[in-house]
Amino acid sequence: MRVENVYKHFPVQSTSLFNRSKDAVHAVDGVSLEIRRGETLGLVGETGCGKSTLARCIMRLYDLTSGRIEFEGRDITTLKPGQMRPVRRDMQMIFQDPYGSLNPRRRVGSIIGDPFSVHGLGEGSERKRRVQELMELVGLNPEHYNRFPAEFSGGQRQRIGVARALALRPKLIVCDEPVSALDVSIQAQIINLLADLQDEFNLTYIFIAHDLSVVQHVSDRVAVMYLGMVAELGSVSGVYGHPRHPYTNALMSAVPVPDPARSRERERIILVGDVPSPIAPPSGCRFHPRCPKAKQRCVTDVPELIPRLEDPPSHVAACHFPVADGENIADSRPEIGADDRVVEGGLVGNV
Amino acid sequence: MSVGDPEIVVSAAAAGAATLDTAPETAAAKIQGRSPWKLAFERLRRDRAAVICAIIIVLIVLMAVFAPVFAAITGHPPNHQYFDTGLTLDGQPKPPNSTFWLGTDDVGRDVLVRIAYGARVSLIVGVVATFLTVTIGTVVGLAAGYFGKLVDTVLARLIDVMLSIPFLLFAISLSSIYSAGLKVVIFVLAIFSWSSVARIVRGQVLSIREREYVEAARAMGAGSWRIMIIDILPNVIAPIIVYTTLLIPVSIVGEATLSFLGVGVQPPTADWGQMIADAQGNYHAWWFLVFPSLALLVTTLAFNIFGDGVRDAFDPRSDRMFN
Repeated sequence: MRVENVYKHFPVQSTSLFNRSKDAVHAVDGVSLEIRRGETLGLVGETGCGKSTLARCIMRLYDLTSGRIEFEGRDITTLKPGQMRPVRRDMQMIFQDPYGSLNPRRRVGSIIGDPFSVHGLGEGSERKRRVQELMELVGLNPEHYNRFPAEFSGGQRQRIGVARALALRPKLIVCDEPVSALDVSIQAQIINLLADLQDEFNLTYIFIAHDLSVVQHVSDRVAVMYLGMVAELGSVSGVYGHPRHPYTNALMSAVPVPDPARSRERERIILVGDVPSPIAPPSGCRFHPRCPKAKQRCVTDVPELIPRLEDPPSHVAACHFPVADGENIADSRPEIGADDRVVEGGLVGNV
Repeated sequence: MSVGDPEIVVSAAAAGAATLDTAPETAAAKIQGRSPWKLAFERLRRDRAAVICAIIIVLIVLMAVFAPVFAAITGHPPNHQYFDTGLTLDGQPKPPNSTFWLGTDDVGRDVLVRIAYGARVSLIVGVVATFLTVTIGTVVGLAAGYFGKLVDTVLARLIDVMLSIPFLLFAISLSSIYSAGLKVVIFVLAIFSWSSVARIVRGQVLSIREREYVEAARAMGAGSWRIMIIDILPNVIAPIIVYTTLLIPVSIVGEATLSFLGVGVQPPTADWGQMIADAQGNYHAWWFLVFPSLALLVTTLAFNIFGDGVRDAFDPRSDRMFN
């Protein structure tokens, strides 16, 4: 699976009849990723940074503004719905909200059996048997075949979602925050279930979450997104151990440490300001209005996503002034004043 | 699954629950059947006013179905004019008496029998026109809400146009162009009511279209038709049903109005609106005006209150289930 230079802009419609503004929310702005067979790619970032939009672009639930999506060597960017259908057998999605992703008016058996009926596989008792196998596989009681989603708990509902995604034995599953709506104890169950299923069926996951420790636990590689762009990408040990982008660095410092002593001596990096509007993203490096290390160059030049310092080529970061190991960016002060922090369109950044 | 995995604990618990479940089989069966429909029905059954109105509606339907029985018992066919027995010596309608239980009209016909036959027209128009209305409205609303963009713009404008045409003026001219009759009445009523149904359905579809389960259906490769019929329609059917029950009395009154104005069902066919119109010149014969009006009032009131009950029953916020 390969994602190349994907852009997704949502036009913002002005209400006035004659004054059509041409603004757009830059939800995903030039993201390139490669997902290898059998691995789990974690996708982290703040709310609104474009993680879910990217996932929906990959699933072709949204049409791209520009860019290219390749699945198993085949360009699927412009396939029509009919051509897309056979491809969808190999890529499925698990949704964030276990309450919203199951149709409340349908029975569980028919929800899990939906992929079979969409793709015309198995009929009657054969389909029922396969659905009940799936229910057993994800740890549900197959006797609950005829129940409604409302009769299940959040964790059980998410298992239903997993069973549905698994029905056609896909190769790739996009998990869009599959555990963020669940209690912590249930989160562990679902994550373990996903891990077991990955081993059993050699699945590839794109795992979206805003919980850094969850991503660290499940992923082989991690991509950190900020305002629609990838800020840093690399192996879990690389990104978590040697974060190069100041944003990644700040995120990592926010991960709770289960040791009060260590937690106290560690210094948290507190970012100032809000995430800028994705309608008019900042010029240069998108993080510059909030970056403690920002210099003049960050305002003008867009940093490339390349290996920094002594990192292996697989660990890339988009930063002109990457953070060295052991450096504490909480001590840094930006070398540019608030007036220099320019956003697109010449507006002064909101810092 | 590795040992010590929390998953094992869960599946063991699930297995335990399964064995427990099988023992009180009947209890499990009872819990299982609570679909949203059953819940709504249960709530409706506890609504006394709705139940009474449902009984009244059934009685009116029976009256319509067995209208010939009324004719047989009284021995008065609906359109026969009893000039000797049905009118007074100076040619006036007769008040209720032992032969004509609800009196006679201005040409000596039995009011009771005609009310019974009139129920047929009212109910046929009410049900058929409403069915047509709801079908057109649902299809248009689904298409507008689901496809959006150009389809929505065109259909939404069409709905606005339909809602802005003055109903009565248009209905009267349409009925006078085509020879008035049952079919034209049904057609006119349907043409003028579907837009409000379409607007309701469109609004519902617009919100349901964005739900994650619709996205999930799309992600697994379901086509537009499948999503519309299997995933969206069942979720808009409750407001549609509520609107249907409330639309039936509107259609009945609409038909009575058109017949009252002489552009609906044509004489000598018995019809409530027509009877009320005929009674206009005979104010001293109160039975001639009161009984058909009462039939119309009771019918529409029963449908309206029943419709309100249905709406409450489908409203998930109504917690009367447990009262």
